[in-house]
Amino acid sequence: MTDVSSYGITARLPRGWDARIAKRPDPAGDPAGPSTRAAPEEGISTRSAPAEGDPPGPLAGTEHPVAHLANFPLPPVRGDYGSGAVELMRADDIFVALVEFEPEAASTPLFSHRGIPRFGVNDFSPHTMQRTIAGMCGAQAFFNRNGRAFCLYVVLGSHALRAPLVAQVNALLAGLEIDPL
Amino acid sequence: MTAAIVALGVVVGLLGVLVVGLLRSHADVLRALHDLGIGEDDLAAAGTAEGRRTAGRRTTRTTGEIRMVPGVAAPGASSSLGRLVDVSGVDPHGGAVHIGLEGSRGLTLLAFLSSGCGSCLDFWRAFATDEVEQVPGRDTRVVVVTRGPEEESPSEVAALASDRVTTVMSSAAWDDYDVPVSPYFLLVDGSRGVVGEGAGGSWAQVVDLLRKAAADAGLALDDDRPRFTRRDLLVGRDRELRADRELAAAGIEPGSPELYAPLHAAPGDGADGEDGAR
Repeated sequence: MTDVSSYGITARLPRGWDARIAKRPDPAGDPAGPSTRAAPEEGISTRSAPAEGDPPGPLAGTEHPVAHLANFPLPPVRGDYGSGAVELMRADDIFVALVEFEPEAASTPLFSHRGIPRFGVNDFSPHTMQRTIAGMCGAQAFFNRNGRAFCLYVVLGSHALRAPLVAQVNALLAGLEIDPL
Repeated sequence: MTAAIVALGVVVGLLGVLVVGLLRSHADVLRALHDLGIGEDDLAAAGTAEGRRTAGRRTTRTTGEIRMVPGVAAPGASSSLGRLVDVSGVDPHGGAVHIGLEGSRGLTLLAFLSSGCGSCLDFWRAFATDEVEQVPGRDTRVVVVTRGPEEESPSEVAALASDRVTTVMSSAAWDDYDVPVSPYFLLVDGSRGVVGEGAGGSWAQVVDLLRKAAADAGLALDDDRPRFTRRDLLVGRDRELRADRELAAAGIEPGSPELYAPLHAAPGDGADGEDGAR
């Protein structure tokens, strides 16, 4: 197990997992400013929270920290919700995106769940994908932790074989820590 | 007249003796320098740890009896073959990066580069262009590893880094793999560790060396297989990517009004596409 930490987010990674924790580019264009390697079609955008139940879309970006965790090699360019990466997934692959929103959102009903959630096999659906890919499925949850608001988005490489993958996801989430700002 | 010719012959003879003496003296000096291990190109000057660290700029180094020509890295004191350690560090903007190598699928090319190394420039340039796609193997990914922010300038690395490859700043990775100098390359297999290592003067040269290293290690680079999988066929990924590329090349981005224009509108026919189709 390896701990990866940045911007107050710490993930305990199993062997062979990839991780990136970064921010979007500085809107002022400062090359040395905070950055995440975002897909070009996903511009810097809204600070407002998405509607519950909506699949993550291209306009659901954030300039707050974004963590990507995956048990496969992450490509250098990805959207906040994994576009560019999930298309490369195989049946036993897992992609986890932890996208932070503005702290004020933590007190809104959408983010009212306290603490890092866990998923059951029935939480995953092929329709909870930014772009539907045959055989794959996703799940999304909103929560707050230590005054910070997050969207947790998970994609599994196989809906039919999701049970063992969900167990791995929950084990990963158990090692996730979020510090106060 | 005779006296002049004799005098000229004497002068020429004296000059000949002088030249021979100078040549012998020069040969003695060179021999003495050689015995001291000092070459004309200062080959013996860069053997220290600091020399290794800055060898990208210095480009010369001695390893025992091996003398390297400028621009080509010497082999490390201990080989990294078989070594398998994940790479952890930060990106040039301060975010966390962890490259999981243990058990990962496919091959990973770790390119150890420096922002101040002149011989690294060709690699920084190649990684920002389609040339990076020449890396052998469909699933081979390229990861640039520089020293950490305590030894490298993040802003300089950010200016050189390309979005086509992952860039991580990690001094620990250099130490874990005993990287002797930059540029230096390690080809890592997720189950076998480092299967090839070395350096080259250009990206094309390194690509060639990588193919040989992979072949020597018995790794199938499957370049001859179709560039799509069964899943690609089922989900139409290849077609979708091609369509996206062609639309982008035509200046049509997501949300562009052209995407919502009526399909059969005749020129000058207004917005009523159905009428135009008749």
